[in-house]
Amino acid sequence: MRDIAVVSFAQSPCVAANRRDDMAGFLLPVIRDAVQQAGIDRDQIDFFASGSHDFFEGRTFAYIESLDAVGAWPPISESHVEMDAAWAFHEAWAWLQLGQGDIALVYGIGRGSLPRDLDQVLPAQLDPYYLAPLRPHRHALAGLQARALLDAGRTSEQQLAEVVSRSLAAAVANPAAQKSGAFSVAELMAAPYVASPLREHDVAPCGDAAAVVVLAAGDTARRLADRPAWVRAIDHRMDTHYPGSRDLTRAESARIAGARAAELAGFAGYDVDVAELHVQYSHQEMILADALGLTGALINLSGGPLAGNPMTATGLIRIGEAAAQILDGRAGRTLAHATNGPALQQNLVCLMSTDPA
Amino acid sequence: MSAEPGPPLPQPITSVKSPFRMDYTYVAGAGRSVFLRGLAERKLLARRCPGCSQVYLPPPEFCSRCLTELEAPFELDGRGTIATFCVVSFPFPGQTIEAPYVVAHIHHHGADTRLMHLIGDVAPDEVRIGMEVEPVWVGEDQLTTSMTSIRHYRPTGVAIGSESTRA
Ligand SMILES: [Zn+2]
Repeated sequence: MRDIAVVSFAQSPCVAANRRDDMAGFLLPVIRDAVQQAGIDRDQIDFFASGSHDFFEGRTFAYIESLDAVGAWPPISESHVEMDAAWAFHEAWAWLQLGQGDIALVYGIGRGSLPRDLDQVLPAQLDPYYLAPLRPHRHALAGLQARALLDAGRTSEQQLAEVVSRSLAAAVANPAAQKSGAFSVAELMAAPYVASPLREHDVAPCGDAAAVVVLAAGDTARRLADRPAWVRAIDHRMDTHYPGSRDLTRAESARIAGARAAELAGFAGYDVDVAELHVQYSHQEMILADALGLTGALINLSGGPLAGNPMTATGLIRIGEAAAQILDGRAGRTLAHATNGPALQQNLVCLMSTDPA
Repeated sequence: MSAEPGPPLPQPITSVKSPFRMDYTYVAGAGRSVFLRGLAERKLLARRCPGCSQVYLPPPEFCSRCLTELEAPFELDGRGTIATFCVVSFPFPGQTIEAPYVVAHIHHHGADTRLMHLIGDVAPDEVRIGMEVEPVWVGEDQLTTSMTSIRHYRPTGVAIGSESTRA
């Protein structure tokens, strides 16, 4: 295995809606920022990988527009995933492992504000025979999951409010956060439900932002960063498409991805200082902390997705935030988690460390 | 010898109705907005890259080769030459113009990129690469921030020579 590290991370502020910039316009400053932090010129980048989804943009091959911000002339080597850009990160890591080059740039674009009504769009990700025709409300499956978790005695509405209160307080220090502030648990619990037992603040606020992570191998990484965030392991697993055949109170695919990553990394969830979890809803923090064995980690110090959720960039931002903890010398071992699909169907786990091996 | 026939298949379900309707907001972006607003005023606005001097029509916000913001927009007179064209001869669903008709890449005088539009007021078999054309704008009441503000391009009657002979 090659030693591969994150050497820089940048993101644009999460906003409810950006009506000024097209995809290229709001990606370009973020690419500039990440490339400048790494101290490289873009012609030194061997590979580009990105993640976004046409269903948020309303056009086929919408991401092609973003290549204008990459500088695709002369022609470059690039790839795109139609899902969260954390999976593009995985592809770039594998590409570097194969020895195809030394520097890769990964970007994610979240444009959750473009669909006028997410209830028109999100059912399209569901099973087309049994679920999509029912047109469940965008939070319906998460509501079922949260209710099952409460019924199993694994959490309470008070604990959900505590997760939100802690996340939004942490987000005050994050200039990219869309939501932040000091909210008491009592204040949060007085809010109305959107999909009982979930309240509006239990839901990650969908919006717009772009994120960029630069990866480099071996001595190149050592040259580009003082404290590279070495990717010690990355793994992803997926569960069945039909939520009715899963135990929604468990994230078995997250558990397996975490166990496999721990095997590769030589350390596990209970060894990390900091974890960034892709929680689309507050109750998912408990499910993921259980699945990944996060007994001692500080969770979502950035505020996490409950403070800003540019869908399809949100997972990559978790990797960027967990890497930044190491790049800035604030943590020694970190875990990043990303998810895709309804109710934690697909899960990716990335373990990073100040040490390459 | 023939294989043992299996149990009969159930009558297959051949369709399930699940019509999706999705409404989107389209964000034109800063660069496109400049160009589209120009069209509503019968103006073709181009922009030059300060890095490589390429003149874009239509112009994005920044040069996709240099990643540099383009300079201030300036107006072109609209005339240009046909860089390449094709004759659309077949009907298809959603077609708004009656076939046959001509679609062309137009190389505007003073621009380095090509703009795609229709060629009209001329028989398709008389269209040539290198032919000079000019825009035919719609009436005042139909002008809008859209390519449809130009009905089509028509020959000016001046032959300039083929694309390959241009510098
Ligand atoms: Zn240029």
